[in-house]
Amino acid sequence: MPKFLHTADWQMGRTYSRFETEDGVALVEARFEAIAALARLANEHQCDAVLVAGDVFDAQTVSDRTIRRVFNATAGFSGPWVMLPGNHDAALVESVWSRAQRLDAVPGNVHLALEPGVVSLDEQKLAILCAPLTQRHTYEDLTEAFTDYATPETFVRVGLAHGSVQGLLSEDIDATNPIAQDRAQASELDYLALGDWHGTKQIDERIWYSGTPEPERFRNNDAGQALIVTIEEPGALPGVQTMTTARYQWHQWREVLSVDSDLDRLLERLQELPEASVLDLRLEGQITLAGEERLNRALSVAEARFRSLLSDRSQLKLAPTDEDIAALRADGYLGEVIEDLREQQSGEEGEVARDALAILASVLKAQTQEAAE
Amino acid sequence: MKLQKLQVEQLRQFQQPLVLDNLQPGLNLIHGPNESGKSTLVRAIRAAFFERYRSKSVDDLRPWGDSGAAPTIHLEFEHQGTPWRLTKSFLKRTRCDLRVGTTTFSEDDAEEKVAELLGYEYSKKGSSKAEHWGIPGLLWVEQGTGQEVQKAIEHAGDHLQSALNALVGEVASTGGDAVIETLSAERNKLLTKTGQPTGDYRKLLDERQKLQEQKTALQDRVFQYQQYVDRLQSVTRDYQRDQQERPWEKAQQQLGEAQAKLIKLEQLEQQQQQETQTLNHIDQQRTLTEQRLEDLQRIDQQKADRKAELEQAEQSLRDAESREPALAEQLKTANADYEKAQNRLKVARLLAERQRVEKEIERLTQYKSVLVENRNKARKHQAQVTEARQMAAENRIDAHAVHELKATDQALSHERIRSQAIATRLSWELEAESGVMLDDTLLEEQGEQQLLDVSHLTIPGVGRFEITPGGEKLAETRRKLESLEQAYSDQLTQLAVASVDEAEQRKLAYEKAVQQRRHAEELLHSVAPAGMETLETELSDVEFELKSHAEHLQENPLPANAENGLSLLDAEAIHSRAESHLKDCERQQREVETLLMGRRQARDSAFAEWQRLDQETRSPERQQQLKNLKQRLEVLTGERAKAQANLEERANEIRLAQPDILRQDIERYRITIDNLRNRQQERDREIREIRARLDAWGAEGLEEKLQEVEADFERCERRYQELFRRANALELLVKQLNEKRQALTRRLQAPLQKHLDHYVSLLFPQARLALDDQLQPDTFTRGSEFGPVGELSFGAREQMGLISRLAYADLLQEADRPTLIILDDTLVHSDQNRLDDMKRILFDAAKRHQILLFTCHPEKWQDLGVLPTDLEQVKKAAVPFRKAGAGS
Repeated sequence: MPKFLHTADWQMGRTYSRFETEDGVALVEARFEAIAALARLANEHQCDAVLVAGDVFDAQTVSDRTIRRVFNATAGFSGPWVMLPGNHDAALVESVWSRAQRLDAVPGNVHLALEPGVVSLDEQKLAILCAPLTQRHTYEDLTEAFTDYATPETFVRVGLAHGSVQGLLSEDIDATNPIAQDRAQASELDYLALGDWHGTKQIDERIWYSGTPEPERFRNNDAGQALIVTIEEPGALPGVQTMTTARYQWHQWREVLSVDSDLDRLLERLQELPEASVLDLRLEGQITLAGEERLNRALSVAEARFRSLLSDRSQLKLAPTDEDIAALRADGYLGEVIEDLREQQSGEEGEVARDALAILASVLKAQTQEAAE
Repeated sequence: MKLQKLQVEQLRQFQQPLVLDNLQPGLNLIHGPNESGKSTLVRAIRAAFFERYRSKSVDDLRPWGDSGAAPTIHLEFEHQGTPWRLTKSFLKRTRCDLRVGTTTFSEDDAEEKVAELLGYEYSKKGSSKAEHWGIPGLLWVEQGTGQEVQKAIEHAGDHLQSALNALVGEVASTGGDAVIETLSAERNKLLTKTGQPTGDYRKLLDERQKLQEQKTALQDRVFQYQQYVDRLQSVTRDYQRDQQERPWEKAQQQLGEAQAKLIKLEQLEQQQQQETQTLNHIDQQRTLTEQRLEDLQRIDQQKADRKAELEQAEQSLRDAESREPALAEQLKTANADYEKAQNRLKVARLLAERQRVEKEIERLTQYKSVLVENRNKARKHQAQVTEARQMAAENRIDAHAVHELKATDQALSHERIRSQAIATRLSWELEAESGVMLDDTLLEEQGEQQLLDVSHLTIPGVGRFEITPGGEKLAETRRKLESLEQAYSDQLTQLAVASVDEAEQRKLAYEKAVQQRRHAEELLHSVAPAGMETLETELSDVEFELKSHAEHLQENPLPANAENGLSLLDAEAIHSRAESHLKDCERQQREVETLLMGRRQARDSAFAEWQRLDQETRSPERQQQLKNLKQRLEVLTGERAKAQANLEERANEIRLAQPDILRQDIERYRITIDNLRNRQQERDREIREIRARLDAWGAEGLEEKLQEVEADFERCERRYQELFRRANALELLVKQLNEKRQALTRRLQAPLQKHLDHYVSLLFPQARLALDDQLQPDTFTRGSEFGPVGELSFGAREQMGLISRLAYADLLQEADRPTLIILDDTLVHSDQNRLDDMKRILFDAAKRHQILLFTCHPEKWQDLGVLPTDLEQVKKAAVPFRKAGAGS
């Protein structure tokens, strides 16, 4: 009864440009920790092997340190690991893999499927049919060769590939590296472990994308998981168990504020988010000066609480109320300028006007506070 | 506001109270000479308002030397119908009391109340300064500061602003200027004046640029890395394929085949070479044989040639021999000729010598005759000289003495004539024989006598008369005459002559003799210049020579055939010709002899040659040799034809084998093999090279680094965008705020400008004084003239200053603010015309405001239309009416 852990798309060596340096470093660290978490998971569930379906590395030229750290992180699971080159780390004549081998960084229990063929795990009675990418992109179905690979009858046939299942996935993932939708059936596979799609996704009863174990984008759904696959015997349907591996949850919120209650609701939701969150917040609509102050305070708190907070308020207009203006004691021509800017927010130079208004408000506020003291 | 009464006491020179209580609502002219207390009054008014009653800094108010004084000022004025009374005492007694209508205030309250009304502040410490004076600082002009309106307006700023706000009903932003200032400062942190990034913004821009460059560089390298990987991939594929297929081995096989063909061909070529050598050998043999045959046949020709040469030599010899006899004859004749010419030359020479001697004799004979003649002549001239000498000796006389004698004679005759002129003349006519006797002489019938001495006339018969000549000089004359006569006779004696004539003759004779002697001497010299003796010697020499020549001729008699002898010149020419001819003949003789010798020898050798060849041609060996050679030649010709045929056959075989193409093929195969092997090696090398490079580059973690740089760049970009937006927003804010503020200022300016225009038009009909946004007089325009007020003349600036102040006063009045105008000796720099205009302006302003004009030049302001107040008079009046003044 072979049982293995299916993961993919580690994208090691990736850095995060959208975040401040400190946050970026933490997110990178989380990916290394994810590998260790996978090893732990494999042990806990007594898996026979760990299959990594491509894109272990984000690029061919990552630092030697990154290479070593990746393989070091696998140390937690002493069973066989089968790693498949994907489109980011294709097995080119010179690749991150050949480099890892030269560095002597690959432990003995890690099998690098650098050439098409079968990795036979005799002890576990697992035949891993590998379709590594040996070019950056191909336009032929590399898994087609699986059909010709003969394996012992008593062995479970597991395909390991990286690419997009044709006719199923949206256009925005690579249209290259195609994989036939009926591959499992056509090549008599018990299971086809796929990589490339960063969220967990089932294609049919034998074909799965595991998704990346630690999210690195906002737009993938169901990222941050790994699959534990159990196959009773050759030909039996696989039992697939979804396991959460992510340390951080990535959220992308697009909110439109129009009335005060919208702000209330937004602040409540912020409150509810766990600390291990990475939030990308984009606000539109309009807000009063008093509301903006509340928002500022809430975001300041959230910034400290969450792993990372990105907020874009460029589309959020300031709509000072009469009370706002009165509170600022903006008499005379200052009042006129505030009124002008408020109107200009809707014009061509809206963003500048909005910024200008915010600055003016803050200066006036500081002055009134000073005066109050 | 109208000031109605002013009273001062114990203040500077006003120890006693001084009261001004007839102040008019309009213009008040207060005048007095210097030191009369004008300035003290102005100071008093200022102190009453500006100085705090408890100020310690008002010592200047104290009368001189009176430390116990309490300077006191009492003011009464009215504003908007309400009477105000202010009394302030300083120093010794500090008090301030104010009554407004019926309400009273005291101390600080009183002071605040007044300050609020007039619009000024108190100094927090020390005496009041210009910055505290507010509106009064603008309307009260101190002596000599009329032109300094700018500071005054600044100091009045807030009060003016509030007055203006009230007037135009606008709310100028209370904190507006501060906000603009804050925002401008913020803006200036990011942008320069011209809107260029600066400070952090600038740094970010630079950093962004730097990161962008790093990013691009890394991207390039990543791209290059990938290119290398691709290259490695393709080269490796090619390398492995060729290792498998080994294309160079096929080429090697083709090369082997071609080389085998070439070996065969080379054998043919070798054969061809050998055959060619054989042919060449035969040809050589033939040539040699032919040459020997030719050599043999050539002896006959040589014999014939020698024969001809022999004949030629014999002929030449004969020619030479034939010339010999003629030449001998010629030589003989030449010898005879030469001898004959020699003899003739001898005779000619003898003859020529004789002729020369004869000619010499002839010349000497002639010379001798000349010499003899000269000797004779010389002798004659010698005699003449002697004769002339003798004559000269006989007639020798002193020419000088003769001259003196003649002079004496002349003087004597002259003296005689003189004596006769002065002598008594006695003339007479007597009867015949009267016998009258003068002295001892008997007188004739008729006569005359000069009488110099006492003479006696005796008339016979009559007796004797003594006649004594008269005249003074008669005696002197007579003595002189006697002395001369004596001298005359002495000189004659001396010269041994009887008379003057004789002396003259002798002198002439002497001179002639001297002349003759000289002439004779000259002639003598001409014939015998060296003297007689020399002449004689010469003559004897000539005679001797003649004698020796004659002897020579006698000794060398003339030869017999001398008659037909030639001249020496001709003889010599003939001789020379004969000699050269003889030499010529001798030379020819020698030449012919040499020629003959040579030709005989040539003839002999030619003969020997011919003889040798003649013998040789006749030998039997030679005949045999000739036959043998001809046979040999025939054999060789046959052999050659055969060899040639072989050679042609070989060439054909070689041509068919295409040697050039074969060799090209071999070269081609070789190059191909080399190329294939080299290419493979090159690939191997490139693979190793690329691997090494990729290994090195791979160690750098290029893409990871690139991602990091990209992250840095994006962070920088985000920060930059933030600042970019902030900068733009600040720029917009500052711009809009300033625009609003300026628009507001313009609205505030309008009423002030109106008043200003009013006054300026009174002064200069076409002019305009513009205000800046601080409500300061800024630029002055008059027709085409245009410029800042600050650049006007002092006088004009003072006038503009006053106009501005009056305009402000109008404005303040419209805003219901009190306006009291105090001018301390103002407009002193204005000319008469301008002053007249300014008077008009002041008069006009005084319709609306109370004006106190203090001056020490009342005459300048006579036509102001007001009654002037003479401070001196007020002072005089002050004492008697003190109580009355204080009470009113």
